[in-house]
Formats: sequence, C-alpha cells, structure tokens
Amino acid sequence: MSTYKVKRRDFLKITGLTGASAALAACDMPTTVTLEEGEEEVVSYLMPEEYVIPGIGVWYASTCQQCDAGCGIIGRVREGRVLKLEGNPVSPINKGALCQIGQAALQVHYNPDRLKQPKLRQEGKLIDVTWDDAFAALKSSIGPDSGLDGSRIAWLTGTVSGHQRVLMDAVSEAVGGASHYAHETLNDTVVDKVNADVYGSANVQYKIADAQSILSFGADFLSTWGSPVHNSVQYGQFRDAPRGVLIQAEPKMTVTGGSADLWLPVRPGTEGTLAMTIAAELVASHGADATKLPKAMADQLGQYSLDSSEAQTGVAASLVKQAANFLATRAPSLVIAGGTAAAHEHGYEAVTAAAMLNVLLGNVGKTIIPVADFPYPALAPKKGDTAQLAAFAKKAKAGDISVALIAGTNPAYTAPDQLDMAAALSAVKVKVAFTEFLDETSSMADIVLPLHSDMESWGTHVASYQVADPMISLQQPLMEPLYAETRSLGDTLLDVLKLYNAEQYGPFADYYAYLRNVVSAVPAVAKEGASDEAYWQAGLQQGMLKVTAPKPFPAAIATAANDDASDALVKSADTMGFVLPVYEKNKDYPLSLIPAASSRLGDGRFANLPWLQEAPDAITKIVWNSWVEMHPATALYYGFKQGDFVEVASAEGSVKAQIYLHKGINKDAVAVPMGQGHTEYGRYATGRGVNPLKMLATTSDVQTGELALCATRVTVVSTGRNEELVKMGGSESQVGRKLVGTITADQLRRV
Amino acid sequence: MTHGLIPGKVSQSNRHLAPREPVPAKAWGHVATRFNMLFGVLCVLLFFVGSAYAEVPNAVPPKGDHDGKHVEQPIDFPHDIHARDNKINCMYCHTYARRGLVAGIPPTSKCMGCHTVIATDKPRIKKLAEYWEKGESPKWKKVHDLPDFVHFNHEKHLNRFIFNNEGMEVERADEVCAFCHGEVKEMTVARKVKPLTMGFCRQCHEDNNGPSDCWKCHK
Ligand code: SF4
Repeated sequence: MSTYKVKRRDFLKITGLTGASAALAACDMPTTVTLEEGEEEVVSYLMPEEYVIPGIGVWYASTCQQCDAGCGIIGRVREGRVLKLEGNPVSPINKGALCQIGQAALQVHYNPDRLKQPKLRQEGKLIDVTWDDAFAALKSSIGPDSGLDGSRIAWLTGTVSGHQRVLMDAVSEAVGGASHYAHETLNDTVVDKVNADVYGSANVQYKIADAQSILSFGADFLSTWGSPVHNSVQYGQFRDAPRGVLIQAEPKMTVTGGSADLWLPVRPGTEGTLAMTIAAELVASHGADATKLPKAMADQLGQYSLDSSEAQTGVAASLVKQAANFLATRAPSLVIAGGTAAAHEHGYEAVTAAAMLNVLLGNVGKTIIPVADFPYPALAPKKGDTAQLAAFAKKAKAGDISVALIAGTNPAYTAPDQLDMAAALSAVKVKVAFTEFLDETSSMADIVLPLHSDMESWGTHVASYQVADPMISLQQPLMEPLYAETRSLGDTLLDVLKLYNAEQYGPFADYYAYLRNVVSAVPAVAKEGASDEAYWQAGLQQGMLKVTAPKPFPAAIATAANDDASDALVKSADTMGFVLPVYEKNKDYPLSLIPAASSRLGDGRFANLPWLQEAPDAITKIVWNSWVEMHPATALYYGFKQGDFVEVASAEGSVKAQIYLHKGINKDAVAVPMGQGHTEYGRYATGRGVNPLKMLATTSDVQTGELALCATRVTVVSTGRNEELVKMGGSESQVGRKLVGTITADQLRRV
Repeated sequence: MTHGLIPGKVSQSNRHLAPREPVPAKAWGHVATRFNMLFGVLCVLLFFVGSAYAEVPNAVPPKGDHDGKHVEQPIDFPHDIHARDNKINCMYCHTYARRGLVAGIPPTSKCMGCHTVIATDKPRIKKLAEYWEKGESPKWKKVHDLPDFVHFNHEKHLNRFIFNNEGMEVERADEVCAFCHGEVKEMTVARKVKPLTMGFCRQCHEDNNGPSDCWKCHK
C-alpha cells in the first residue's frame, strides 16, 4: 500500500480566506489587523470542496471526548477553523443536546497553554526537543532494543475504549505483557458491581423517561453522574405531563437535587438505612411484597422503623413517608443510586439496598433494564477507578515498574496524599506522558509527548453507558492540527507497534488508515447491504457506526425481569450478611467531608478552561474559586458567617477556603468542590482555590476496594478572616419583595 | 506531488486532513438563504423605481472616490485581460459573492482550470503553476477591507441589484461590482478607488432605500 495515495477527497484544502488567515499557519504569529490596502494577507483556498463557501460554516459530526458518556457532537467549521460545537441531533445518546463541558472542548483545543513541543528531562529539567528526538527516547525505553522485561512497563490511563484501547492492549502485548491501570476519581465501580450482582449485568439502562416517580440516592444524574446529557433529555420527557415526581436523597444538594420535588438531606453514609426504611414503609403501609427480597434482607426490614431511622439518617419521618407514598402511588417508579451514596465504607450495601427497592417496586425490566455487554469486548471501555491507581502505586513503590505510560489521567493531583503518588511516581524510572497540557503528573514525566487535541484527532469510542443498541462513536478531526510537533495518541501507538511488528502495522500510514481499514473489515452483515465506502461515509456523517448483533440476555436477568429476585441477587445479599453501618459521632472530627463532584470542573481536569471557571456553580453561583458549603445551623453552632475563611482539617490534611452558607446540605456535613487547587495546570487553573481530594482518608468500600470519597471526617476552624464571596447573584432571597411570584407545590396542586 | 494545506506550512501527511463528510445539509436547512431572498424581494417592492441617470436599473450608485495606492501582489493579476478583453463575468471567479458574506479570492484550482491549457507559456502563469505544483496558494495582499464591527454581505447586495432587480441582466454584473470596487476591469491588480466609509454606505442606503437600522451592519 502506498503511503501517499492522494485521493481527491483527501485533497480537501483548508486555508483561510480572511485577513486573519496568516494566523492559520501558526497561532502565535503576530497578525496584522488594519484596513490599509496591501497590509494584510488574504490567502485563497487551494482546492476546496464544492460545498465550502467562505463565511458559511459547514457542520461535521464527531464525538465529545470530555467525558466517557460519548455524546455525539457536530462542529461548525469555517475557513478551516472549528468555531462552535453543538450536540449531534442523530446521536441516540444526547439527541442534539450538549453540556457545558462538551461546549468547552473548544477551549482545550485553542488553549494557550497547550503543549506545542515535546519535552525530555535532562539534568532534572524538562527541555523542548523535536518529536523525533522524543520518540527516539520513547523507543529506547520501550522499543524492541530496550532490553526491558515487558512486565515492568505499565499503562496508567483514564477510561479508554475503542481502538485506542485496542492499540494500547496491542502495545502491552508487543512489549511482553505490560499491565494496564485505569484511573478515574469519579467512577461507578461500586454501582457496576451492585448491578452485576443484583440485576445480573453491570450494564443497566435507566429508563428515566418511562418512570412516573424517581428516587435517586446521591446520583447527580442530570449533571455529573452516568450519561448526564442523555439523562437530561430523558428527564425532560419525564417531567412532561403527567409530570413525574423526583425525589433526591443526598447529603449535599447537587444540580439534580436542586430540581427535585422532595429533597432528603440524608446524613453521609446512612443512605442504605434510608433505603431500607423506605422499603419497610412500602411493605408496612403500601402492601409491597417483602418476599420479593432476598431472605437476609427481608428479615431485617423489621429493624427499620421510621423513628429509629430518623435519628440515624437525619431525614424526618414525615418526609420518608411522603417519599414512600410517591413511589407506591406513581408506578412505574425508578430508584437510582450512585455518587455520594456509593462513596462510603459500606457504599456497596447502600447501593444494594437502593437496588432492592427496584426489586420490591417491580421496576426491573420496566424502568431499569439490564443489558448485555458490548458485543466487541476488545473495544469495550476499560473503566477507571481509584482501586486500580492504588494497585499501580503499590507496584510502583515496590520497584516493579520501570516505565509508566501515562495518558488521560492526573493522579498527582487527584489521588489522596495518603496514596503517596509522588513516591510511587518517583520510583518509576521512566515516566512517559501523552498529554495536551503540563499538569501535576505530566510535569513529573521524563518524556512528554504532546498530543493533538480532540478536535484534531481520529478515534473510535464506546460510551461507558450504552443507551440503546450497541454502537461505536466515531471521532473525526474537525480541523487541521494547530501545531507541527504534536501527534494523535492513535498515531503514536501505531508508531510504537511498527517498531515491533512492521509487517502487521507497517502498511498503515497513520491512525486514520488503520481505522479505515478496521471499518472495511466489519462484516458485511453489520453493514446491512451498504457498500464499504457508503457505510464509512454514513458513519462519518452521523458520527457513529452501528454495530448490530446484541447478545441475548443472560438467564439470570430474565428471571429478575419477572420481578423475582434473581439467583445472583439472593446470593449476594445472603453471602455478605448485609450489614448497614451505624452512624458514629466523632468528637475530634465531627463533620463529614463531601468532596463534591463539580458540574463545571469535573474532578479538576476542566479547571484550565476559562469558560467553565467563569460559569457560576449551579447551586452557589461562585466563580473562579473554591468554597466550603455549610448549613446555616451548623455555622451558627460553630460561630461562622458567610465569607469566613476557615480551615477544614482531616487527620490527613487540610484546606482553607471561604464559608458559603446553604440550607441544601446535611447539618453534619461540609462540602468542598473538587477541581481547584492546581499547582501546575496552566495559567487559568494554577494557584486558584483548594483541592479537597488531597486530604481524604484512604478508607475504601469494603466489598469493592474502591476509594470511599465521602468517608473522611473533618473539623472546621476559623482563621479569623472574612471577605465577600465572589459569586454571581448578590442575594439568595427576594427579602420578601415578591420580585418573582411563587406558590408552593401544594398550592399548585390545589389550583 | 504533495500539497501543503496552509501557506508556509507543509502538512506531514494528507491523511491528517480534517474532516471528511459534513452533516447532511437537510438537517440544517439554509434558512438564512431563504431569508435573504425574501429580504431582497422586499427591497425591490419598497424601492423607488426609476432614477434618471442610473445605468443599472433601479439603482442610484454610491458617490465618492478614494485614491488608493498601488498594491504589489505576488502575481500581477490582470483584471483587464479577464474581465474587459475576455468578458469573463466577475462572479465566474469571485463565485462566493452571490452565496455568502465575502466575495472570496478564487481558489487556485479555479485558475488552473483554465491555465493548464491557456497561456501556459506566460511568465505570470508559470509563476501560478509553480504555486500549484507546490500545493500552495499565492499570498495575496488585501485591497478592500472593512473593520470587524461592520457586517457587510455581498450576497444581499447582489440579490438586490442583480438577481432580484427587474431589468438587470446578470451579464452586466461588473457594473454593480463597480459601485464599490470601481472599474476593476480597467485595472490589472485591483486598487481601492471608493472610500468604503460609513458615510459612503449610508448615503447609498438612503438613495436606494436600503435598511437603516444600526444592527443591520453593526451586529
Ligand atoms: S456529558 Fe460528557 S460526552 Fe456528553 S457533552 Fe458532556 S462532557 Fe461531552
């Protein structure tokens, strides 16, 4: 195969046609902006596509890579530049909608802090080098002549799927058995395990639109949990007449909680107790059939009375009654659990208790549907979690990792100090970072390989949450690479593979050629009669490739769908003995810390995007900073005022930030949002706010070993300083002026 | 033959070329185009018919002159040979004028459409062919420009004065172009001979019943 077989299509020429076109060649070049004749340059297209008209945007489909929900995007491209992203209307995931984080992908691409040049560590410092030199360094570390035992090489990545994963696995195999650790701070490891145990499949579809009432334990499904855009579209239908009722039980009000009809400020770690109490109430007052539950659980129901539970959970008995009433009278209901509910030592039990409500209410198979695994396991997402990071750290500290290949994760920022990532990473001789930015982790690397942005790369992806029939999301570049010395991850992986297996990978000029070839190899039956080229072009137009062949459901699920407790479910509940924790007071550290997932900054990876920094937090309206969210009653008890600078200290560390008073938080909890407090992440993120993740205790969920994010207890002490909080919106209330007329939901119902 | 995509920059591989297939147009409908046509029709309806001296029917040409300097171009493009001697319509090369905001410098492929066979021995054409072989477009110098806060739309003006203008033949498009660009067909490389100031625009809008809302141009 000739490497440079230029087809007419490939010939697409994208040069600018505006006065600023000189800037196209190199972003940093000074441009002349003047009206004077003969001063600015104007460069024509060389050979444009027929449909390209200067000044008129053309939309191309691709896939959002900001999170693993895999929303379809379309990008408006004008004069060779991508200018605006929108949701792809034909994507079954997001149906034309796009979240703010997805919108901000443009600022990743055009970010002034993007790496433009590879770097190598020389005498302790990172020095700019050419791509060839950097790749040569990579080659001497992991190439065939490195003489390294392949099992001493490890991947440390975020969640990866599609052919990036295939090629990573191929590299692992080629080097001789490298291991792969995927790390995500915000993950669903606990929920996936519960789903597998209770419903028979880790993959579960939540049919939000089909429900009449929803009870969510800690799952901020409209903003930070699951497939938020998909859920939001479904939520719109759920709220259409007849209007579904949303009940949210969580210690700190999330965006979803803010939308709820009934918000239950449950004490952190007692979500399981609340779920069991609701189950008991359903059985006692609404005739639910307790025999649907595994015996070990049914037997315990008697222990959960409304009153005893109030003392535990902090949720008033009347509210619990109301919640149970909604669920019983508005069928089908749906119970979701995740996020803060799963982030405890007994998170698994709490999520299981919630799942049992689905069994009790007969929702399985109606609003909660277990589905088969993705039919091509090699492409399925390798989901990250902190348990894998801890395993990596352990192996590294034992001196068993010589080369770490790091991509898409920033553990030096997100890992709790207790995990001592700094020591783990220093124990690794060669750290290779594939990255677009220098962050806390990549700045520790020895070889820094700057990547194309997502707007410049090819890729295939499989969403972590499969919303409908299995499909592969397609990512295509929306414009030419901005910088000459960056490469896409896929291209680099291919280059490494060519070192090992020139025969197999040599024919592919680049990652595009590889992907195009892979698609040719898709069996004709999956293409449903379309020619190979038509199938590919349709895939590009839609931003996805349909892959048929869903497997039949495993038998266990078929049973569960008939409302009976599945075998797996009985087994799991019985074998673990099902113990729910009792909330214990802690004298020294009286409050629970909620490191709150941010709907803007995620786990901190979006902190370098000014659009997201300046977008006010949905609940507090604070911009560009961190805060400590506290209930006014708690603040009164400790003597804090709004804007007080306080120190939030755990046994493991502390952070300082300003108090934000809000009734939307449990009185025994304080919340500090994730995402700020970067020490190294470009001009917009660095030195701003604090990072609560560092001070977490390394308590884990007992059943899965996953880090329990909300299990850290803290104390809050004043620093004696007070300043006005910087936030949009000056006043939290209308001070009785009725600027906006409101009536209560009760009054509305009577109208 | 390899082709750099961006002047001054040779791409590593043609495979990297961004993107392949646009989203089908039907999903995004050319609402704007339809609006433009409506607008054009409206203008005609509103127009005060018959000004005594206009050669272009239903039009009062804008007034004012500007003594622009000669601009050195990478190739001494002879507008006169093309537009005057060979009577090539302006819109044959500046094909985007009737379809978008900007008239556009013709793509180099358009030049080569004729000049792979015509006048291939002339020095200027040889120079052009050199660019083409290198896969580059000449870096022309901009002659006519407006500040970024001015929103000028070629398409709307062409609709108003040519396509939706009764009695106007499309063959005489150059007379309309000349309103703002002068007698380009008498020039080699273009020279700015009209002031293109706000007063120039406003006067013409007044004479021709063009819109007078601020936001029509400053949006
Ligand atoms: S939910 Fe994730 S994939 Fe979807 S638009 Fe937002 S960031 Fe992108």
